[in-house]
Amino acid sequence: MDKIAFWDCNASFGLPTRGALKVCASADELVQELDWHGFSGALVYHTAQHDQSPVVGNRVLAEAIAGNPRLIGSWAILPPQTSELPSDASFFRAMEAANVRALWAFPEEHRFLLERLTFGSFLDEVAERRIPLFVRRAIGWPVIYRLMEQYPNLTLVAAAHGPWGEDRLFRPLLERYPNFKLDTSRYEQDMGVSELVRYYGHECLLMGSNYPAAPMGGPRLMIERCDLTPEARRAIAGENLLNLLRKAELS
Amino acid sequence: MIQSAIVDEFLTTGQCASCRVIDLHAHYGPYQGIYMPNHTPEQMIATLDRCGVERMVTSGHMALADMVPGNQEITELTERYPTRWSGYTVINPNYPELAARELALYDKRKGMVGLKFHPSGHRYPLDGPNYAPALEFAAERRLMVLSHTWEGPFNSVAEVTKVAEAYPTLDLILGHSIYGEWDGAIALAKRLPNVYLELTAAYAANGIIEKMSAGGVTDKVVFGCDLPWFDPHYAIGCIIFARISESERRMILRETALRLITPRLRH
Ligand SMILES: [Zn+2]
Repeated sequence: MDKIAFWDCNASFGLPTRGALKVCASADELVQELDWHGFSGALVYHTAQHDQSPVVGNRVLAEAIAGNPRLIGSWAILPPQTSELPSDASFFRAMEAANVRALWAFPEEHRFLLERLTFGSFLDEVAERRIPLFVRRAIGWPVIYRLMEQYPNLTLVAAAHGPWGEDRLFRPLLERYPNFKLDTSRYEQDMGVSELVRYYGHECLLMGSNYPAAPMGGPRLMIERCDLTPEARRAIAGENLLNLLRKAELS
Repeated sequence: MIQSAIVDEFLTTGQCASCRVIDLHAHYGPYQGIYMPNHTPEQMIATLDRCGVERMVTSGHMALADMVPGNQEITELTERYPTRWSGYTVINPNYPELAARELALYDKRKGMVGLKFHPSGHRYPLDGPNYAPALEFAAERRLMVLSHTWEGPFNSVAEVTKVAEAYPTLDLILGHSIYGEWDGAIALAKRLPNVYLELTAAYAANGIIEKMSAGGVTDKVVFGCDLPWFDPHYAIGCIIFARISESERRMILRETALRLITPRLRH
């Protein structure tokens, strides 16, 4: 069996304000966890990006991953109206300089509406540049539906799924929008992944654990052993994510 | 990477020949708020084969809604697959007369190894009087009782403690390990010999396996994954990648459950 390279699209480090059963205080600790679970690398954010503010957290993240090729960064966004973060080309150039190749939106923690009235041409540009935007599915499927309707070409990843498989809610989006993706996180239905791939292809799925809130070992064994071709398993485990990040046009 | 022969074998073959899994918390059939692609008896048995699960103990989704046809349906499945499939008789405390009838049928239904309660699903507290006849029945016969347990009303540490103390001759298996009340659940399993912690959903609370190990209760922890809800490999992966010893992995996946179920098999 060829070794499958695992990349986690949804992992974080930094101390969460509310505490947790398991925390990963630093980038080094996260790398140790990747090693323990046999992962090649991860797309990461820092807890300060949502618990505190992206204004501080984005910088903290960039400093923490500097020089570590196994950690690729993602930055959090805020509405352009308050000018807390740049929303012109300089923002994307800064992403590239910091090895940050994806974005997260935390509309609940940062109290904004994730929609066109707020983000206007900024998310048009994110879509054009093919920069993946991650959201937690807990922000609500109606929010995600409206966002996709307003930005149909956006590369949107609905992440951090709960265990109640929400196929009835996300399959319509997969049917309609080719750039709509899911992370695997706790999409743990028996035979769920293989059936989804049979209907929609493997390109819609990215290995993501939601570490350290949820374990990496569960999704790893599930993807490694699921009833799919080796190519499809390799793609879900890491290649799909790396392809997406490669396609992001930042300069 | 983690050094574990059990992990290596699961990664390369999907199962572990020297540690066949026993699943004490399974269901059967489709269900309300979730799409499950793999819930027929044949599909579920194929999953057991794929994941190296020797036996599962189920309560039917039908039985959680309506005990009478639901418990009969599971009885028939345990007769069709006696070496792989055991059952819990579901007791719905909202219908005490029907519950009494289901208890009366228990001795004849040889595939049943215990009772299943779902206090929060049935909106009736575990320590309420309508559960008493079933608890007395189980205590007399030294059965296993799997109860859904979770923080909040109906089935938290408070209700579980009363029942576990009042009926020391039944083995009370805490489905989901009183999710969210981890310290209370671990303390209870440590203090009371008849209390066991079952891992469905709990396995995904990262760090919980190590916490149970640190609390000295690994020998009271059993495997479950709500099949046909969850892929056993997801659950197994969460457990075997935890920082525990190889012998603890065996206890959780197989040995403790085997000790619980073997004396109760009647087929
Ligand atoms: Zn259950």
